[in-house]
Amino acid sequence: MAWDFVFPFSAIVGQEKVKLALLLNAVNPRLSGVLLKGQKGTAKSSIARSLSRLLPPINVVDGCRFNCDPSAKDLCPECEERLASEGALPAVLRPANFVDFPVSATEDRVVGSLDLQAAIKQGRRYFEPGILAKAHRGVLYIDEVNLLDDHLVDIILDAAASGENVVEREGVSFRHAAQFVLIGSMNPEEGDLRPQLVDRFGLCVNVENLSDPDWRVEVMRRREAFDSDPMSFCRDWETAEAAIRERILNARRLLPRVNMPAPLRRLATDLCLQANVAGLRGDILLQSTARTIAAWAGRAEVQADDVYLAAEFVLVHRAGMTPPPPPPAEAEAPQDEPDKPYSDDPKAQSEQWSNRRTLPPTSQNHVQDDGQKRQEPVGDPDSSPQTETPSETPASSPINAKDGRQSTFEVGTPFPVQRIYARKDRVYRKGSGRRSRTRTSNKQGRYVRATMERKNHDLALDATIRAAAPYQKAREKKGLAISIQESDLREKVREKRVGNLLVFVVDASGSMGAERRMVETKGAILSLLLDAYQKRDRVGLVAFRGKEAKVLLPPTNSVELAQKLLKDLPTGGRTPLAAGLIKGYDVISQYLKKDCDITPILILISDGNANVSCGEGPPLQEVMKIAQRLGEDSRVNYLVIDVEKKGLLSFGLSREIAARLGALYFSLEDLRAENLVASVQLGRSVFHDISAYGGMNN
Amino acid sequence: MTQPLIYPFTAIVGQEKMKLGLVLNAINPRLGGVLIRGEKGTAKSTAVRALAALLPEIEVVEDCPYSCDPHDYSSMCSTCRQRVDSGEVLPRATRRMRVVDLPVSVTEDRVVGTLNLEEAIKKGEKRFEPGLLATANRGILYVDEVNLLDDHIVDILLDSAAMGVNTVEREGISFTHPANFILVGTMNPEEGELRPQLLDRFGLMVQVEGMADPVMRMEVVKRRLSFDDDPDGFYAQWEEEEHRVADQILKARSLVPHVPISESLMYAIARIAIELGVDGHRADIVMVKAAKTLAALQGKDEATIEDVRTVAELVLPHRLRRRPFEDASFDFSRLDELLRVNV
Repeated sequence: MAWDFVFPFSAIVGQEKVKLALLLNAVNPRLSGVLLKGQKGTAKSSIARSLSRLLPPINVVDGCRFNCDPSAKDLCPECEERLASEGALPAVLRPANFVDFPVSATEDRVVGSLDLQAAIKQGRRYFEPGILAKAHRGVLYIDEVNLLDDHLVDIILDAAASGENVVEREGVSFRHAAQFVLIGSMNPEEGDLRPQLVDRFGLCVNVENLSDPDWRVEVMRRREAFDSDPMSFCRDWETAEAAIRERILNARRLLPRVNMPAPLRRLATDLCLQANVAGLRGDILLQSTARTIAAWAGRAEVQADDVYLAAEFVLVHRAGMTPPPPPPAEAEAPQDEPDKPYSDDPKAQSEQWSNRRTLPPTSQNHVQDDGQKRQEPVGDPDSSPQTETPSETPASSPINAKDGRQSTFEVGTPFPVQRIYARKDRVYRKGSGRRSRTRTSNKQGRYVRATMERKNHDLALDATIRAAAPYQKAREKKGLAISIQESDLREKVREKRVGNLLVFVVDASGSMGAERRMVETKGAILSLLLDAYQKRDRVGLVAFRGKEAKVLLPPTNSVELAQKLLKDLPTGGRTPLAAGLIKGYDVISQYLKKDCDITPILILISDGNANVSCGEGPPLQEVMKIAQRLGEDSRVNYLVIDVEKKGLLSFGLSREIAARLGALYFSLEDLRAENLVASVQLGRSVFHDISAYGGMNN
Repeated sequence: MTQPLIYPFTAIVGQEKMKLGLVLNAINPRLGGVLIRGEKGTAKSTAVRALAALLPEIEVVEDCPYSCDPHDYSSMCSTCRQRVDSGEVLPRATRRMRVVDLPVSVTEDRVVGTLNLEEAIKKGEKRFEPGLLATANRGILYVDEVNLLDDHIVDILLDSAAMGVNTVEREGISFTHPANFILVGTMNPEEGELRPQLLDRFGLMVQVEGMADPVMRMEVVKRRLSFDDDPDGFYAQWEEEEHRVADQILKARSLVPHVPISESLMYAIARIAIELGVDGHRADIVMVKAAKTLAALQGKDEATIEDVRTVAELVLPHRLRRRPFEDASFDFSRLDELLRVNV
């Protein structure tokens, strides 16, 4: 099996917008890249990688390791030297590089580092170019860009923003140009992207499933043909590929002459204003994109359609990003459009520039279980600013029609929540929303860079040798090629996402359906989920009803997935509370085996009215016993949210459970951030520092 | 030819689906591996090792860390290609297909490869020290308890499994080499699930069950004991059967590219995927491949509706989205109906 054949771009079925977005960047590198968002298996990476065979050739200095343009002013130091000594630089024409950024990359290879071989053997400080140099004047492709390490993201952002890579490390001081088209692909279900990074991508497109059977069959056919004989498949498509290459070149030539009439420029500006785009980056990109679209179509003049199409690419991921950076509360309004985490645009606008699906104007908030209609929206009128549009409440859908007693409630309006965090025997970085931090306790995690600090005997060999390399001439080597001294030793800095693991244990029994409690409960969970999203926490979801408890969502980064599941969560049946607690605890203890640095919080949301036991004995007694036992595990923090309506018939059972668990206790009302004082601590004091969450508070 | 110390594949009692999933991948490595879900002690790792022992030996470039095929230039690593280009005759050897174990505690540098310590210190030279992905090329990469593996390692694995290439940009090393392997993962769902994105990357999934039939259980014990008592004698009993299955796999391998699948079956597959709401196109693609492979295994000259039905059980269940509290088992009557309507 050949391993270096790439599925041809022209053979990809459908996905016209995705292809266009990529081609526009091939024509005009100033569009600064594309972000492809889509579900798994939608050919995101296949399409992106296929672009590698279409990049037009560039003029480079022969032998230059930094892809210098012979006519450019920003030559690399090596070319400067050559120019000074030889008077002229020899040029060659060759295809621009397409650099595939591997998930396992380390910092030294990204920015470049001291060439240790040259240093040791020749005693020369020689800079070895990294990925950023390779990608100069070409394409840098990052698959699963949302999973990329924060530190590496920063480096890439830095280079992308400044257009150069400045290296000051290991005794090397170096600077070279690094201008590249950044292409990223991601599955939003796996977690979101930082807004700064999102903004770096000029364009953004959603990659969707093909829904037409004809196309799907064509996909199967071509894939089979490619897999069984990649060489001849690629040969068969070469004509089509060549035609695209030719068209890219023509469009490139035409581009400088493309005229954009004043009314259309005005239209572009208006679209940006309407979409509430932060800064002027969007405006500039919108016009350049529109012009590039015209050039691609072979026209010397921009048309209104070009502008609308460009707006789709440029504004989708920028809409609603008001300056200063998106207020966190807005970031995850409970919309039904998961692929647009930052969009908060009024529907009228979005329809204007995008033909994407929008929600029906009013959601049908009723439940058809027992003829009872429940239509009033849940959120308090005074709740929060981000709930302007009632249509944002996703509609409820009754599922499983067989079971008459089961119903699915909609999700109540979310609100800012009390700040919840645990502080036990470990250090929790206050206010550090991002979970990333270095691990020092063991050798797990990704090796991202090296440090001189020495703590845990986790030697970074490459960095150590580079540190030792410049001194080799002077040192005595005892027959070895290299002599390493104490001061050269470098250790690995490993990064692992650390933070909280929130496991929601949700009561989905019939009693939760009474008086729309489930609607509010879902609203409360959603609020906590949104909070978790901003803090980059992991979340898990366990629900119990009928006879059993189920893990609906194993711990994940994807708040979005949790949200979807929450929406679909049906209510009905009896209350096996003990089973729920145990299941939630199991999820946590399993996760702790994998990652012992995370701070787990089990959040029980129930009225406490257990009526099914998992062993013998009365259900309530069992719950209390189990709660007591679970409370003894000092690794786990507990939080109980009591959804029992206060009234004549309140039993205070959840409160009792909270006491046994040593949990922090909230009533549903107390959870709202504006109700400052209401939090209560029960049992062993494990929680501290409950204060209003400033960021979300109005 | 085969070292008789390994329990013969064909002597494994029951677990037909698991065996089928493994054999299909042995015939067509493009299927994208198999995930075996089930409890401990259900012969998962025995089956994987037995399969490798059953398969005919492969010819490799003797001193190549990537086990390159000396007859196929296009699949060779860059070093072997250079050697061929410079007119060198590559040294050949034949050996059994490798099964590379990936322990849960494995570190990233061992998976992707790293800087060679000895060369660096003794000679001051920068050399790539190949990792497990290199060793697994043209073999089987076996990950026990894949759900307990560190997330970022799983990402790396599935990435190279999907592309057949390992790209290394770390610790001063920049290198790319072929990494074509059959990925076999096992997991016990009680210990936590795998992310849906990762599930989707496994071409096939089989659920193994503990054995409830007392007769079969007794048979398992009987065979195991008699293997332990006299491995050579036990192997001799099964040798013929082993050769038969090995031959069948070999024949099927050469047949697969030539097994057609009808237009109407492909449409049925597309409609099934659409109606069941499966994300993406992997399900479609894998179903076509698996159906063809199954037909080839049976020596048929065309993939049939029965083949599609059989492989659907291995392809679809782990790709379906489930609503909370919906039954975890897949409703096959729905599939049958869809097949009936669409063919």
